[in-house]
Amino acid sequence: MSILEKLLKIDRKIIFIVMAILVLFPLLKPLGLGVSSGPRAKAVFDAVDAIPPGEVLLISIDFDPASMPELYPMLVALMRHCFARDVKVLLCGLWITGAGLADKAVTEIPPEYGKKYGEDVVYLGWKAGVDAVILGMGENIKNVFPVDYYGHPLDSLPVMQEVTRLRDIPFMVAISAGTPGFSDWLLYAQSRYGMKVGAGVTAVSAADAYPYLQTGQLTGLLAGMKGAAEYEVLIQKNGYSKAYMPAVAAMDSQSLAHLVIIALVLIGNLAFFATRKRRR
Amino acid sequence: MHISTDIWTWVAVILTFGIFSFLWKDNPFYKFCEHLFVGVSVGYTIALTWYNSVYPDLITPLFRQGKLLYIIPFVLGLCYFCRFIPKVSWFIRLPMGFVLGWASGVAIPAYFQTNILKQIQGTLLTPAVLARWDVFLWALISFVGVICSVLYFFFSQEHKGALKIASETGIVFLMIGFGASFGYTVMARMSLLIGRFQFLLRDWLGVIK
Amino acid sequence: MRRTIPLAICLGMGVLMMVQFFVPHPASVAFYDLTTKWIRIVSAFALVLGVGSLILYHLDRLRRKRQGWGYSIVTMVALVVTAVIGLGWGVKPGSPLQEVLFKNMLVPLNASMFAILAFYMASAAYRAFRARTKEAALLLIAAFIVMLGMVPVGSAIWGRLPEVAEWILSVPNMAAKRAILFGVALGAIATSLKVILGIERGWLGGGKG
Repeated sequence: MSILEKLLKIDRKIIFIVMAILVLFPLLKPLGLGVSSGPRAKAVFDAVDAIPPGEVLLISIDFDPASMPELYPMLVALMRHCFARDVKVLLCGLWITGAGLADKAVTEIPPEYGKKYGEDVVYLGWKAGVDAVILGMGENIKNVFPVDYYGHPLDSLPVMQEVTRLRDIPFMVAISAGTPGFSDWLLYAQSRYGMKVGAGVTAVSAADAYPYLQTGQLTGLLAGMKGAAEYEVLIQKNGYSKAYMPAVAAMDSQSLAHLVIIALVLIGNLAFFATRKRRR
Repeated sequence: MHISTDIWTWVAVILTFGIFSFLWKDNPFYKFCEHLFVGVSVGYTIALTWYNSVYPDLITPLFRQGKLLYIIPFVLGLCYFCRFIPKVSWFIRLPMGFVLGWASGVAIPAYFQTNILKQIQGTLLTPAVLARWDVFLWALISFVGVICSVLYFFFSQEHKGALKIASETGIVFLMIGFGASFGYTVMARMSLLIGRFQFLLRDWLGVIK
Repeated sequence: MRRTIPLAICLGMGVLMMVQFFVPHPASVAFYDLTTKWIRIVSAFALVLGVGSLILYHLDRLRRKRQGWGYSIVTMVALVVTAVIGLGWGVKPGSPLQEVLFKNMLVPLNASMFAILAFYMASAAYRAFRARTKEAALLLIAAFIVMLGMVPVGSAIWGRLPEVAEWILSVPNMAAKRAILFGVALGAIATSLKVILGIERGWLGGGKG
């Protein structure tokens, strides 16, 4: 068997081991490649930056633990951006297994900026119904969520005094891992209530968001872990945060992983076509 | 290195390696973890649905506040249980008809406005795109791409002549689109692996921040 | 009657909700509010179907002692224990459901399941992704450009690579995805209309009546 034929028949466990080593290495010894922000992430940043202090950003937690590495850093970065500018944050969710994820952010991030639950941030929780939830919030948020995730009546929370329905919110970011997600917010919140929507999505759905970006239906896009890293860099460059940036730290591994995949495809194709030519 | 002494972190690590063991081969440990995941996630869904939806949206208004109109959705919801009683299993059609009718009625104008009208608006070549040569060129390419890609999916007529040319142009755009999606998908999957490794190195072994 | 009433409910709700979108009269808005509340309640009960089917499947596997029946015990025990803990001790932060079951079981299991896909992607990339045709080659080239353009190493290789990747995403990819979006939206509208008008009756299920 020639080397090329041996290459084609290589045990996949060897590929797994090579993959694991090359992803682990930059986490232990960063390569220092750096991250620069693109126009799509900048658009989300600018939209959040334009929210007047005292008003509210709505963030929809439409993801589960499987997508945490890509989407949780976006949530944290958005919250830091808001708190640094005295913008209040309202969180809700359409995914049942995402309900517990926001609690971590709501507990850890506000104290960094001296912010208090109820006065600066409220987490509504999850509710069954997707389109019925969005449409219900469009008319009256308290009809859908009479109490927040922690059981406090919404009437008792200062953030909710000024916000009764979706039209009272100048901008929202749907952080979504699929369906239900940003497309449902566009379908129901934007078409009926004219809501301005930005999106943070897993890289899998990022390419599908471009038609909405082109029409202006989506104001900006944070795409995958790179999008999260771009936002982290933006808030740090603008002096809103000095915290550790987990998405940025992961980008070196991401770079190597992509190079490995490209190399594997090229080697596989070279070996395939060379052996096919030899057989002919 | 600062290995965690928290037992629950170790439980999380063992379950992580249990799933990863599938990479070597299918084994009882992996199967145990897989079935545990199904059971825990369904149990979690039951508990959260009760406390976040059923109790505040139905039990409280109907039984504690005496709003009798809520009997209607309550009865409709109970009809779902008839699925498991063969003699009255047809009752499940009532809530399904209600939900499907509602959802379909709400979806039609929403889809039309968001995914048809607005998208057509975005495709049209308006005078605004004449502002710069590159904006015009990209808008023209997009316009041609959308038309040709839509025509590729038109199977009511044989792809001959002009339709064949348009369809083959559409395939070019579709392949580029799928390639972009594939590139992004690779990024997504790698990110998830990196996230797991970050957990193992940070929360378990304490070798990174 | 067993088919007529559900179909009538579906038709009525569908038409009313479509019309409601265009009618701002207070009575229309009140109807919309009411049905939106009811739908959230009825949707929560739909969980019964999924949970019931899962339990029946695993009980059947246990009863017949089919291959892997031991794992059905794992699923059932996990489901019952999680549901009991959640229903008994609540779902608030700090509860055993959130602190133990969610954080240390559900999260690592769910995350690891998807993390292993990265390895299979690498293996598939090596063994299966062949540029056998021009279209496949085009797909792979677009994928490579997007993969490199979206990570820092891409701009290290060539400073303009991120711009090229962004162009691929914004122009040809956007055109292709828009074409697919048209198809999906038209299909969704057509299916919704068929469901409302009773042409699509698959949801009624089979059986007598």
